[in-house]
Amino acid sequence: MGVTTPVKSNPAAEAALSRALNDELTDKGFVVSQLDKLITWARTGSMWGLTFGLACCGVEMIHCWMSRYDLDRFGFAPMPSPRSADVMIVAGTLTNKMAPALRKVYDQMAEPRYVISMGSCANGGGYYHYSYSVVRGCDRIVPIDVYVPGCPPTAEALLYGVLQLQKKVRRTGSIIR
Amino acid sequence: MAESLQELGEHIAAATAGAVGAVQVRLDELMLETTPEKVVDLLTFLRDDERCLFKQLVDVCGVDWPDREKRFDVVYNLLSLKHNRRIRVKVATDEATPVPSAAAVFSSAGWFEREAYDLYGIWFAGHPDLRRILTDYGFEGHPLRKDFPLTGFVEVRWDDVQRRVVYEPVKLTQEFRKFDFLSPWEGAPRILPGDEKAEQKDKAS
Amino acid sequence: MSDVEIKTLTMNFGPQHPAAHGVLRLVVEMDGEIVERCDPHIGLLHRGTEKLIEYKSYLQAVPYFDRLDYVSPMNQEHAYALAVEKLLGITVPERGQYIRVLFSEVTRILNHLLNVTTFAMDVGALTPPLWGFEQRELLMEFYEGVSGARMHAAYFRPGGVHQDMPAGMLDAIEAWIKQFYPFLKDIEKLLNDNRIFRMRTVDIGVVDAQQALDWGFSGPLIRASGIPWDLRKAQPYDVYDRMDFDIPVGKTGDCFARYLVRVEEMYQSVRIMEQCVAALRTVTGPVRIDDRKISPPRRGEMKGSMEALIHHFKLYTEGYKVPAGETYTAVEAPKGEFGVYLVSDGTNKPYRCKIRAPGFPHLQALDMMTKGHQLADMSANIGSLDIVFGEIDR
Repeated sequence: MGVTTPVKSNPAAEAALSRALNDELTDKGFVVSQLDKLITWARTGSMWGLTFGLACCGVEMIHCWMSRYDLDRFGFAPMPSPRSADVMIVAGTLTNKMAPALRKVYDQMAEPRYVISMGSCANGGGYYHYSYSVVRGCDRIVPIDVYVPGCPPTAEALLYGVLQLQKKVRRTGSIIR
Repeated sequence: MAESLQELGEHIAAATAGAVGAVQVRLDELMLETTPEKVVDLLTFLRDDERCLFKQLVDVCGVDWPDREKRFDVVYNLLSLKHNRRIRVKVATDEATPVPSAAAVFSSAGWFEREAYDLYGIWFAGHPDLRRILTDYGFEGHPLRKDFPLTGFVEVRWDDVQRRVVYEPVKLTQEFRKFDFLSPWEGAPRILPGDEKAEQKDKAS
Repeated sequence: MSDVEIKTLTMNFGPQHPAAHGVLRLVVEMDGEIVERCDPHIGLLHRGTEKLIEYKSYLQAVPYFDRLDYVSPMNQEHAYALAVEKLLGITVPERGQYIRVLFSEVTRILNHLLNVTTFAMDVGALTPPLWGFEQRELLMEFYEGVSGARMHAAYFRPGGVHQDMPAGMLDAIEAWIKQFYPFLKDIEKLLNDNRIFRMRTVDIGVVDAQQALDWGFSGPLIRASGIPWDLRKAQPYDVYDRMDFDIPVGKTGDCFARYLVRVEEMYQSVRIMEQCVAALRTVTGPVRIDDRKISPPRRGEMKGSMEALIHHFKLYTEGYKVPAGETYTAVEAPKGEFGVYLVSDGTNKPYRCKIRAPGFPHLQALDMMTKGHQLADMSANIGSLDIVFGEIDR
């Protein structure tokens, strides 16, 4: 029940690193690091999520932000406005009528922006794949970074998806425009 | 006032002088049939008459029977809080015959009729605002008709070249798997002549 | 002073909006800050549920109902199960009925928790959602224990419920009930006498009894307008006629009255849950009807007996055939009267399944309710109407 913190690979090394950082700061007053690693650290540590809750997955998304599976502690604050959001979580079924609005909101987000597709309806049409009014996967409209499967994915699964996105940003993020 | 549903139905049929075509009570539910010309009067009577008092219009929907000449059925479900009863009114119509709108009688009919128009194409005459409500803005066709395919005709995707959402003909990677369970052994529409056992079973059931 | 012509401003309260409760597009005509007219554009979540149901068997159609009003899934399943059982002419065994009533009330509390706390969030109180959603998580643990899924359970099926409750669940529910009363009292302490909350909800969106009847209101909205109508008391289904509970009725018909009605309904739901738990300790028996033509055999049986295997195969491929007929069955869903108009033509697939969602006529009346109010009251009205687009758009 709940999320367990992963076993640290090398607690002694991590402790030594943070001690070294602290010493350098108090000693010299600044720390030297690779710029893109620093920027990636800042980006993944504070990814604000656009709450694009469309249907049932939206409720699980809200649950992920609430007390039990607190997403906020990962720096993933809910941000209703696309202009200030980094990640858009498409949670729920995307219909033909809603598709232009989704694209408009995606276009309003500033780079770097990421999209998490949550739930089987957003992944590939899901339960309503054969319907006449459903977009068979929101990747027909916006490019997706992480797909979270489930119907609905449990709040824990969404949390895992967010952490995977952080890993992906660390791996592939760049500051080149 | 535990009058039976059948008596109530007959009272309504008598009091509305020809508006009611048939009265049916099945599974403890009362059902009246009427025609498009008489439906507004019938609904007004059902709302105001002392023994009826069906003050709430709970639902208006359409049903498609493509084999019939008047293929659509507009079904009104009403509820009387005072007498704690429900009633159903059915109107048969087709694509060309409009049904007078009940929005003047019950305000809640507005959107229900818009939905029936959107999904079936049933035209409601005198409706204050009859336009599409559930389907897409430029949608062509009436989806819940039996001849409209499940997957529709168009699907949507984002076109990077045109920088807008475009509509394209539907291309499914896997067709909807429809299994025909009415096998010749069970759901035979025509019993062969000379099959006495089948006829006996028919009479018995 | 010369006449100055003032045009109304038409504004789009777009589909993506934190207070729009899902995908609602409102085109609002405003005269300054006052709303003159608002035109809700729905259909942004229209998934074609009714058309899809016509292509599925009766058992395959059950999960569609979970996804309609997704904050109170089991109540929708309940309506469908009752409709199909009426056409089939079967009755659910007693233990199954008690479990259904118990989980219906659990679902009612799930719904009211979400509605009351997000309504408070819409008008500015940020603490109630954080407290309320932890209670929802505890309730969703019961859902998971009994069906395997936190939200969309597919638990109420025509014929009963899918399987019996696991051991220990009744004690867990009792423990939950004990800690729920202080939680509700805390929420009331936060909101009831809160000056800001009252200023934002009292006398907002007033609907009188006549208007409520005319616009097809049901559920907490009609009760807040002064009409004591509850389907659980008027047309009881399952074992509601054996339950002892009260129906809260409001006086003023404004947003505050609706909020109070919902909070009191939560207290009454807990009362019903206590009675169900007490009954379930003594009532034993199957939880779904024994008729093998409708309800599949248990897996252990299926692996041993040939008849059970054949029944299992036929039921999960073709499904049971429902005799031709039609019915309109409604239940008291937390949002109002949720009805299913089911037409069957004798085959294994429903011919027409119309879903009458309570939110549909309620949202229609938004124009009437918001005339003359300010824009900020619009979100208070939408919140108190308890709109969920899964059921409105289907």
